[in-house]
Amino acid sequence: MKNITVFLCTCFDEINRVVDYERLCSHLSDDPRVAAVTVSRGLCVSGGAGEIGASVKSGDGRVLIAACSPLARGDQVMRDLERAGVPAFRRHLVDLREGCAWIHGNNPAAATEKALDLLNMGLTALEYKEPSADVTLKIADEVLVIGAGPAGMAAATALARCGVDVRVLERGAQPGGMLGLVSRSYPDNTDPSEKIAAFRDLAASDPRITFHSKVKIISARGYAGNFTVRFTAEGEELQAHAGAVIIATGGRVFPPKGYYRYGEVREVVSQIELEARFRKGPVKKENAVFIQCVGARCEERPYCSTICCPASIKNAMRIMDENENARVWILHRDIMMPGTTLEAYYKKAMERGVRFIRYAESDPPRILGDEAVETVEVRDDITGDRRTIPADLVVLSTPLIAGTDAEAIGDLFGIQRDSYGFFREIYPLHPVETRIDGVYICGSARWPVSSEQAMVQGEAAAMKAAALVGRQTIRASEFSRVPGAKFGHARVNEDTCSGCGNCAAVCSFDAIRLQRRSGEGEFRMVSRVIKVRCKACGNCLSVCPNGSMQMPEMNTKALYGMVGKAFS
Amino acid sequence: MMTGKESQNPVIVAGGGVAGLTAALDLAAAGRYVELVESAEHLGGRVSELDKIYPGDHCAFCPLWTDIRRVEDHENIRVRLTSRITAVERKPDSIRVTITTEPRYIDESLCVFCGRCREACAADAVRPSWEHASPPSFFIDKTGCTKCGDCVDQCPTGAIDIERPPVEIVLSADDIIWATGFEEVDLTPLPEFGYGTHPDIMTSLEFENWIAEAGVNQGRILRRSNGKEPRNIAFIQCAGARDRRLLPYCSGVCCMHALKQAQWIKRRAPEVGCTIFYTDLRTVGRDYFDYGLRSLRMTTGVDLVRGRPGMIRPLPGGDALALKYENTETQAVEIARFDVVILNGNLAPSQLLPGSEADSPVDLDSQGFVSAGRDGAAPFACGFSREPADIAESVLRASSSAVTLAGRKDGPEP
Repeated sequence: MKNITVFLCTCFDEINRVVDYERLCSHLSDDPRVAAVTVSRGLCVSGGAGEIGASVKSGDGRVLIAACSPLARGDQVMRDLERAGVPAFRRHLVDLREGCAWIHGNNPAAATEKALDLLNMGLTALEYKEPSADVTLKIADEVLVIGAGPAGMAAATALARCGVDVRVLERGAQPGGMLGLVSRSYPDNTDPSEKIAAFRDLAASDPRITFHSKVKIISARGYAGNFTVRFTAEGEELQAHAGAVIIATGGRVFPPKGYYRYGEVREVVSQIELEARFRKGPVKKENAVFIQCVGARCEERPYCSTICCPASIKNAMRIMDENENARVWILHRDIMMPGTTLEAYYKKAMERGVRFIRYAESDPPRILGDEAVETVEVRDDITGDRRTIPADLVVLSTPLIAGTDAEAIGDLFGIQRDSYGFFREIYPLHPVETRIDGVYICGSARWPVSSEQAMVQGEAAAMKAAALVGRQTIRASEFSRVPGAKFGHARVNEDTCSGCGNCAAVCSFDAIRLQRRSGEGEFRMVSRVIKVRCKACGNCLSVCPNGSMQMPEMNTKALYGMVGKAFS
Repeated sequence: MMTGKESQNPVIVAGGGVAGLTAALDLAAAGRYVELVESAEHLGGRVSELDKIYPGDHCAFCPLWTDIRRVEDHENIRVRLTSRITAVERKPDSIRVTITTEPRYIDESLCVFCGRCREACAADAVRPSWEHASPPSFFIDKTGCTKCGDCVDQCPTGAIDIERPPVEIVLSADDIIWATGFEEVDLTPLPEFGYGTHPDIMTSLEFENWIAEAGVNQGRILRRSNGKEPRNIAFIQCAGARDRRLLPYCSGVCCMHALKQAQWIKRRAPEVGCTIFYTDLRTVGRDYFDYGLRSLRMTTGVDLVRGRPGMIRPLPGGDALALKYENTETQAVEIARFDVVILNGNLAPSQLLPGSEADSPVDLDSQGFVSAGRDGAAPFACGFSREPADIAESVLRASSSAVTLAGRKDGPEP
């Protein structure tokens, strides 16, 4: 079929001073698939994409562009074509400048041969390329926020301010999460119950916020724009239909069992137990010792939990507030107070008289005392002295660990977790986005963070969710991150699919489901692609044993055809 | 769109690094019109200068480039390169922002990157933009250009106009999100580091550039003084930071930066010794501790020494550097010989506007970080303009600023 129009760009003689364009033209004119050959001086700057688009739009026209590398301006021409209505399966780009003329400038004959090979490969690709069927989806206009700790509360507040309906699911009886367990926030030293009360008032008064407490999630299914989540709230079974889901389920505190005689002697408490004491009333102590990195930055949990250093510094100063004669030591391995605010907070603590002693991981402090703690023995890593500190309170700073429901939530929504069980983002540049579009993570469910940082993350997640549900409809192809993407999504031939499940096992985006196909006289499993989730990475087709899985814009016929031309 | 408020005025995002790109994309996705103002010839900011980013050891190119292309393609975003905000004036219902665009003399929409102008330039004033810029193009360095016009004659597309003046425009805007990033602070006022006395004493960003796989040395670890492989390299943490004389704060990103560079040196040149002199090794993000300390201690054997050197001097003959320090864990005062010294920590927020701080449209703290918006409201600032921040923190704050701005009901405050 004569349906391919070829545009050869000379790039202002950059290409044709090496590559023999007359030979290319005569070769192309002889090809039965080629309808026309046009030589142009500069396709990228001539603004000719619209005309090219018009010329191939009708019927089954296809266009082969021979120009520069996609990393130079070739891709821009392709994007212009996309805008002019030429979809990926109707176009193909061949790089004759960087790939032929420039790199083989000293051998024009070979450069021309290579150009011919590339053009032949392009023609063959265009012969077989097929379109992915795109779908347009309606977007549900509500956002579901799971967890009402600092991250979830901030997300819900930001969404409501943007005019978005938001449904908050909280497993506890009250909002607040970890914020409800601490006595003061750092570094502003405010009472966190004010923030919780403000949210409770907002949730009660703002019609955009629906708050459910004592929630248990039963099931979740769907994809960006259309998630259906079934849950019980105070025993009643309910269902939510949401365009986006923000997961803010928080972490939990690692209990210091087995460390520093915790549970054996009195007045050796965890940081969170000290917070509970502060919430009850003044804590009058003469000599308080904080021990950092208890069960953190060790073999089992080789990470810094971020919040323990500032929390100890905050509580150290609080003890000094409540008893001006109190002496407080913080035994640490590194003081983790990065940035401006925290570093200033650390300096303030030093000026207040909090004593910092550095210990080595290999020589940790020892708790001495029979019934209650009496002294702490520590080797000061900086002076080398072994010191015995009197203590009537020892506070153990333990890290945050993943929540007990993290695994279940992760499985329900198909999001990945890191080796410590925290939810993993898709990339550091996109820190609240997950491999599932429309599902966002924030707060300590993602990684241990302060309440202030958790709120920033909650707002960031709210931004992404608000932008998604602010639209009425969206095309599945828009979820591909690259503008003018070369591929749509994978397609299964259900007639030949054997249901082996290889594709579902290798899919990085949880986009393939094995489902029953029941037609006349058959009852078997086949793969189905969730188009909204598919990123067209091609993992699935590389493991398909019989070619049932295809990337239509670059299917196996096109690929084998191109390879055949390359080596013919 | 989502606020239900029709706003004709754009939001201005100052800075086209990761924070600015994210804020622009978020607001544009939410239906707001954005003017993205970037002072360099390309988008991408500091991250585009990094050879590798921690903790994944990726080059940041693919995700950064993807975001840049999404910005360039977005119908709601207009990008202004080689531009700066030069004045901000408050009006009752908007702000008036003056943006000055310096000419790059070569129109990037017409440049086909053929390089004929560069060959024609006797003054070597034609430079390629960042290699990963989209599309790549050349620009003319004003300071070197003699205006001979040879490049204009050679350009096949007529992209060059060396007489092009700077352009100043005044826009009415809804507000500004500041994402102007950081600058390196000169370390010569701190004599003990010896910065400027020997080519092998470098800042860590200079070193990143020097050893970049896509850079001049194609990833080889070499000395700047003689082009030979060094025997050992010292990293000095908190050089200029956590120091009352220069920057009292912690720059936040340097510990991981040093650990990353040490690890890459060890991978590319295992025989080069690395020693990191530190105060506290601050590794607080996801996988940071694991990436840095644990793998260094267990596999590659980089020495960590707690202490801040008190003297770095070239040895007589200039062949190496002497470094005097106290190891605070052994209390021993030692002098060691190093071939290369990397100074890490001299990062300060960029100035928002030219001129004095009194004209600043937002409140700045004593170090130049944006501390408050108007009337004590939360400032629209992200990345290093707001506080020392790594990539993830910059991007998070950018999205947070964007949603706060998008959700503001009453428009700009008077």
